Amino acid sequence: MLDAVRAEALKLRRHRATWLMVWIYPIAFTLIIGGVLLYGMFAAHGPAGPPQPAAEWIQDSTMLWKVPTSAPGRFLIAGFAAVVFAGEYGWNTWKLIIPARSRWQLIAAKWAVTLGFLVIALVAADLITLLGGWLGSLQDGQLPAGVTLAAVAEAHWKAGAHALLPIVYTIAFAGLFAILTQSILATVILSIAMVVIEGMLPLIAIFFHGYAPALTAWLVKVLPLYHMANLNAWAKGGAVIPFGPKEMFSLSWTTSFWALTAWIVAAGVGTQVRFLRQDLN
Amino acid sequence: MPTSEPSGTPALELRALGKTYGRGAKGKRAVDDVSLSVRHGEVYGFLGPNGAGKSTTIRMALGLIRPSDGEVRLFGQPVSDKHVLRRVGSLVDGGTFYPFLSGRDNLRVLARTQGHDGARIEQVLERVDLARDARRKVKGYSTGMKQRLGVAAALLDDPDLVILDEPANGLDAAGIQDMRNLLRGLAADGKAVFLSSHLLHEVEQICDRVAIVHKGKLLREATVRDLLDHGQALRVEAEPLDAAETALKGKWPVTRVQDGLSVQAPRADAPAIVRQLVEAGTDVFRVGPDDQSLEEIFLTMTRDSDA
Repeated sequence: MLDAVRAEALKLRRHRATWLMVWIYPIAFTLIIGGVLLYGMFAAHGPAGPPQPAAEWIQDSTMLWKVPTSAPGRFLIAGFAAVVFAGEYGWNTWKLIIPARSRWQLIAAKWAVTLGFLVIALVAADLITLLGGWLGSLQDGQLPAGVTLAAVAEAHWKAGAHALLPIVYTIAFAGLFAILTQSILATVILSIAMVVIEGMLPLIAIFFHGYAPALTAWLVKVLPLYHMANLNAWAKGGAVIPFGPKEMFSLSWTTSFWALTAWIVAAGVGTQVRFLRQDLN
Repeated sequence: MPTSEPSGTPALELRALGKTYGRGAKGKRAVDDVSLSVRHGEVYGFLGPNGAGKSTTIRMALGLIRPSDGEVRLFGQPVSDKHVLRRVGSLVDGGTFYPFLSGRDNLRVLARTQGHDGARIEQVLERVDLARDARRKVKGYSTGMKQRLGVAAALLDDPDLVILDEPANGLDAAGIQDMRNLLRGLAADGKAVFLSSHLLHEVEQICDRVAIVHKGKLLREATVRDLLDHGQALRVEAEPLDAAETALKGKWPVTRVQDGLSVQAPRADAPAIVRQLVEAGTDVFRVGPDDQSLEEIFLTMTRDSDA
């Protein structure tokens, strides 16, 4: 299995999509933060403002982890997953590797490498952001009192952990769409549609609630879209979001966590089952 | 590679293999009841016109397509057993590779997927004369270079069975000659080679045995020598041909070939055949041994099948 992961990593390290949709995070944050620091070095300094509270400074330093859970961030993740999974159909290369390895292992290797590359890129970007924030504070004077390594590490660990499930969820569904459609473009379109519908869910629910309130509530509870939004809201603000007109219901983050996990598992199983039975002409 | 199967077990065995695309009235039978076996140390040719079901059969043999009926066995084991597939090297669709990787990196990816370190990469690149171009990206390769890289990929894990779909496609005359020597060399090393082709002249020179398929059905499986051996056949050239055919058909089995008739009869019957033709009022130009090429045999069989 490890060999299959190494093969997948070797393949994707050389692909342009990896640079455009994965390594873009550390590269972009390096450029942005480098630019801000350079500007700070040469710009005229006004009078120093009130010192930033330590908790706020720490929270600001974790901003990177909001990117992969945002709509544009998820588009990038889905785009990368589309290349990883559906690319083999476009290049016609399943025929090269399927006789060499079990199909389930090939798919599992793709999940592992997609997630692994993204986590590496995001952690690197996070460290760059943190370093930039630290240097920026030194440029302005000094770090706010109360910013400790332990507090920073805890905040970043939590932010990263909260972002992980939405990332896995996006990869799982993009992988499923890729195996079903066998097309990078179709996978990207479906993934974008999913994220957009997710954002429009409150409006959709309000519209349908007038016609079939019970069915609407049931669908929202069962489908993954609300749970994704619910977890995002909780990760960002520490509170879940009520749903629908007159706040029809409000599920706990643990309920949403398990619901989303169930959907991820379902998408994973669906991907494997479909791929195992797929004819590759 | 260890060979744990009993001696005499075919490297590849197709048992009543069938594939139908689609369902119900719209279903299309691409392969129908194909049975054959390929032994170690032989080059086996799988002949058929375009659309005969050759590629579908090869894809089923490699586990890329699920058969609708029948079974594929590799070294005595079902193809679903991934361990036996690791003893197979294959080339399909003229070599399918990652266009953004170099030839060498494509082989590295394949080696890692196969679960080894790719120690043979340089050796197989040399063998197919691609070592100098191995650093170039595959998207810049010509069709012939991709084909040669495909052969290198097929040989990478030192397989016991090599399955090649139209291996001569895109190769120039020298490349075809190299391929011929390579395949004969593999067979001499005790490996089984199964290749599909529509280049009958090539197959005639390379293969020990052939199967002829047409419209998904296996028409005949025989050694090349048996197919070409027409010691019991005479070639008759006479005009008008229809009258000659009618005159002979009552006494001997007659098949129309490219420029005459092939009559299943011993040499001793030649005078009787000439008499029969003269009595029927035809002009006889030639009666002699029938030296049909594989191409003629193939065309005759597929035409008869159509009829």
